[in-house]
Amino acid sequence: MLFHTWPFLIFLLIVLPVFFALRKTRLWLPWLAIASYFFYGWWNPYYLLLVAYSTTLDYFLVAFMDHCPREKQKVDVLARLTRLRFQDRFLLVGFVTSSLAALGLLAVALAGPLTLRPAMLGFDLIMLLMALGALFSSRRIWLIISLVNNLALLLFFKYARFLVENLNAALSWLHATVHLPDPSALMPYGFAYVLPVGISFFTFQSMSYTIDFYLGNVQRERNFLRFATFVCFFPQLMAGPIERAKHLLPQFHQFPPIRLQNFTDGASLFLVGLFKKLALANYLSFYVERVYDRPAAFGAPALILATIAFGWQIFFDFSGYTDMARGVAKLMGFNLILNFNNPYLSTSLGEFWSRWHISLSSWFRDYVYIPLGGNRGGAFKTYRNLLLTFLISGIWHGAAWTFVIWGLLHGLGVLVTRELERSAFYRERVPKLLKQGAVFMFVSFTWIFFRADSLHDALFIVQRIFTGAWQDPQIPMLMVALVAMVWLYEFLYESQFRPLLKTAVVRVALAVFLVIYLCLCSSGGGAFIYFQF
Amino acid sequence: MASPTPPSPVGERRKPSVLEVPFGVNEVRLNGPQWLATFIILLVVILLTPRLWDKVERFETGPDYRIPYTLSKDYWLYHRRLTRVSDKKKIIVLGDSVVWGEYVLPDGTWSHFLNREAGGKDRFINGGVNGLFPLALEGLIHYYGQPLRNQKVIVQCNVLWMSSAKADLSTDKEEPFNHSRLVPQFFPRILCYKAEATERLSAIVEREVGFVSWGNHLQNAYFGQQSILTWTLAEDAGDPPRYPNVRKNPFSQITFSVPSAPPNDPLRGPNSPRHKSWETAGSPTRFDWVDLDSSLQWHAFQRLIGILQRRGDDVLIVLGPFNEHIVAEENRPAYRKVRDGIALWLSQHQVPHVVPETLPSSLYADASHPLTAGYELLAQTLYKTESFQQWLKSP
Repeated sequence: MLFHTWPFLIFLLIVLPVFFALRKTRLWLPWLAIASYFFYGWWNPYYLLLVAYSTTLDYFLVAFMDHCPREKQKVDVLARLTRLRFQDRFLLVGFVTSSLAALGLLAVALAGPLTLRPAMLGFDLIMLLMALGALFSSRRIWLIISLVNNLALLLFFKYARFLVENLNAALSWLHATVHLPDPSALMPYGFAYVLPVGISFFTFQSMSYTIDFYLGNVQRERNFLRFATFVCFFPQLMAGPIERAKHLLPQFHQFPPIRLQNFTDGASLFLVGLFKKLALANYLSFYVERVYDRPAAFGAPALILATIAFGWQIFFDFSGYTDMARGVAKLMGFNLILNFNNPYLSTSLGEFWSRWHISLSSWFRDYVYIPLGGNRGGAFKTYRNLLLTFLISGIWHGAAWTFVIWGLLHGLGVLVTRELERSAFYRERVPKLLKQGAVFMFVSFTWIFFRADSLHDALFIVQRIFTGAWQDPQIPMLMVALVAMVWLYEFLYESQFRPLLKTAVVRVALAVFLVIYLCLCSSGGGAFIYFQF
Repeated sequence: MASPTPPSPVGERRKPSVLEVPFGVNEVRLNGPQWLATFIILLVVILLTPRLWDKVERFETGPDYRIPYTLSKDYWLYHRRLTRVSDKKKIIVLGDSVVWGEYVLPDGTWSHFLNREAGGKDRFINGGVNGLFPLALEGLIHYYGQPLRNQKVIVQCNVLWMSSAKADLSTDKEEPFNHSRLVPQFFPRILCYKAEATERLSAIVEREVGFVSWGNHLQNAYFGQQSILTWTLAEDAGDPPRYPNVRKNPFSQITFSVPSAPPNDPLRGPNSPRHKSWETAGSPTRFDWVDLDSSLQWHAFQRLIGILQRRGDDVLIVLGPFNEHIVAEENRPAYRKVRDGIALWLSQHQVPHVVPETLPSSLYADASHPLTAGYELLAQTLYKTESFQQWLKSP
């Protein structure tokens, strides 16, 4: 169910009144959870199990973690194993049930249907680790289980095919006779092997909770329903923003205050998001697809313009989704974090990443870059950590070499602009507009690797941009005018003329224009690009 | 440039605020009164624009006018056409491409020859639409045929739509068909119509909101049946294709004049290579007629009669002119059973109807479309029929 479709409107028209009607009861939270599960199940009801599984496991892992001492204590493992002598009954129950479950799962894996074996062995491993966690009363083990589980889900559904294909290619290059089977063979009972929508988002959100609890940044959430709603809150379930427990969970503790401003702000955000998606992103995609589907048929100007158009397309698509998500949440009185802040006005790549997909970049900053050492430990380690962070960020976006290169290019770009920023000449003498232009061009260049269907295509496009003939790019003037208008608006927003945009006349005129334009010129549906991640 | 957002991985960790988040990075943030003003302006625009457009846009019809083939899906225009001809003296002939005249020019259609029989007056109006079938005709008249009130209406019933489960749209397998936005979107269920919920709901919105239908009219009339944005990227038939509209101003396309059909349509009329008897290339066929009780098209036709009657229209059904010659000998009893079943139902429900004799074989272009001479003969025989004359003279 996509935000810009009629079924979503009907869904919202049912969810919102019931939500508000339940405000004086305790049922508003279960209602929100049910609505969120329905929203996700609309896409594929089977994968609801995946969200439910990930949620339940992380909920209990944190509960177990909560029962383990923060400081390292000596544990009499032998006494625990032989006489089940646990100081904490919760850990005892955890140890016994997970041990029994591990045995049961092992039995099913060995004696049960063959189709269930891989999944059962996977669950068995988790149960064994849980038994170990309880046995050693180790918070770290509980954290590792959460990380292993969430990353294994991602690895299997998102990266397994890519890994298998590359391993098979390497094996055949080595003339080995071994050939790894396609991961779809591991799916039980012939279930389709498809990437569950939003898996990268809800696993990251759930993981952030366990990590934050481990680090002592958040309290344990004892209410399972509240935690489940936090993980699957429908406005941001599919494509973020990736919320932190510290920010979103407290908002589910009591019914949000009903204010007119929530409705007016929510509607404003939703309208702008809808316009970005339907009128801009979808329109740009027509031109981008035409050129990128047959790059050999186009000259350098068309390839350059299609690449720039893709940069705007993905921005409008993703930020449009986020605006709609934030708008829907706001209608109910919840605040989701800002995810985009006019990124194409950045003067450095570091700044770009503080304006683009803010929730993801801050996630990587807090859970990858800083744990790796951050900028502590000298320039070499800082640069290594930065490159690693961007490499992982690239892989997060997709299972292909093009994403790896895209991530590395951004990592290198950050290093270079960071060094440039150190020089007084660059900092003080180079005009801001030039810096903005350079950042925009570099980011646009990297989009080639993000958008191209294969590494071969990407390299071909890069080569053709520099060597191809200068033919008429045949880009519609209307498209150029629309993007120029948006860019101009962003410039005005960040300039001294911003008060002009705040006047009631401009606001109303813009809203009227957006609605009429949507009615007459929008170009149908189309899923959001970031759903594939 | 100040940035209110968290720093990048390069920066240092900062304590995030818990509930205070900025609204966004634009100023399209309307308050209550501003939303109210927006709503009022939109309401005025949505209600008035189609009406004003009706006054401003030239729509030249004239005798023998039929909705041009390229505007077959311009239902707003169809509504406008019916509004113009809503006159008690006029008789609207409704139906599919048989009424519209698939193989003939405007002066070779059934309504043209009926007018000639009536003494040359522009009394019979061609209300046929190419590509229609009863399920779509029902939708067209239900949603866009409100001007048809207290008027004489001839409805042509084409049994071809019951000649197979596929034609009846009662198969389970997905079948693409014309005018899908007119058919019932949810109930009664059309199993072979597999559109997604959002497409079905869009169709419903289009029928109910005149402004959206008017928007579609613009697309149909000026942008080659596509959205304005798609039009800017339309490609020609060249190899490699060129994109002739990329430099054009889309708004300059709007000429405020409804396009008319080409005067010399090479695909239609006696000089067209298509205008020839079915016998030259075809042979008798065996049809797999559907049972009337379970026929979706027949049920839609029954509902259509009900809609017209409830609006006070004086309805006459013309059952035919189906090409019986094309039906294989052994298959004819099945055809007659369907035809007679329809006639019986019409009689039982006291719906005036005429079942014209089958035309000579050489006057048919295919299973249901007559050639020019066929329409002429059909109009002559129909005009001479006593029941038709009675219906015509009835108040």
